[in-house]
Amino acid sequence: MNSSNGNGSMSTASSSGAWDGRDQFPAGLRVLVVDDDPTCLMIFEKMLKTCLYQVTKCNKAETALSVLREHKNGFDIVISDVHMPDMDGFELLKHIDSEMDLPVILISADATKQIVMKGVTYGACDYLIKPVRIETLKNIWQHVVRKKARNTLLEIKY
Amino acid sequence: MEVGQMQRRLVDYTKSLFMEKGFLDAQFLQLQQLQDESNPDFVVEVVSLFFDDSEKLLNDLTMALDQPNVDFKKVDAHVHQLKGSSSSIGAQRVKNACIAFRSFCEEQNIDATLRCLQQVKQEYYLVKNKLETMLRLEQQIVAAGGSIPMIELGF
Repeated sequence: MNSSNGNGSMSTASSSGAWDGRDQFPAGLRVLVVDDDPTCLMIFEKMLKTCLYQVTKCNKAETALSVLREHKNGFDIVISDVHMPDMDGFELLKHIDSEMDLPVILISADATKQIVMKGVTYGACDYLIKPVRIETLKNIWQHVVRKKARNTLLEIKY
Repeated sequence: MEVGQMQRRLVDYTKSLFMEKGFLDAQFLQLQQLQDESNPDFVVEVVSLFFDDSEKLLNDLTMALDQPNVDFKKVDAHVHQLKGSSSSIGAQRVKNACIAFRSFCEEQNIDATLRCLQQVKQEYYLVKNKLETMLRLEQQIVAAGGSIPMIELGF
């Protein structure tokens, strides 16, 4: 058996391990972006594609939830606007938290401390204020890695 | 007009939009930097989308403020959206007008909000006009075989 690395680890089919072996990571990061504003959605999509991420966009939280449910382990991270007419970002976050194990970033043009606090306490891994710069999006992969590292630690403990 | 002259005219015009009048801010530069060979019309497409979307929002706002019992929550939601999209495009003065608008929505001040609506509309049509002029200048340069000069603004 040809072992190319010394630590003898096997690459397991881990729960959502699609990112583990990719050499180009974070290129190919699978992002779902949700915003009911078409202008913002178009800009996000372009920025995320420029970061070499794989982007899926939705303009409704309900649609986003269906997509996530239909493609379990199909995404690495969700970015969602807070203020949307049918279901808002907080509700979407609650659903994602209870049904899946995905990092969620909330975005809004609202920057009040109360709402940012709400986002963080609801479990958002980050809260970004519009307008979002591409440099910020280039770093979102860190949330994916951090969450996985935490999950791994929990698995080891128990 | 030869290409060099057109390019200089575009640079001067664009600079004035940023520096003197504050119509656009650094976010607009982000959009220009996103445009590349794979997406050569990105700025035009986003700006057009912004125009369509904003005009719809402004109509909704006009109607919402025209009701006997104004639903300020609804008004605020529309202004919030316009604030988000205008800030994402870099339309600074529209964004600032929205910020003022929202504070009066909170106060549920009908007269002030009506004035704010006029202000937002004014800023919107101004920036629309400026952007259309700028994009037209760009088109002329490209049609004459020239390339769009990069604007250095030191933001």
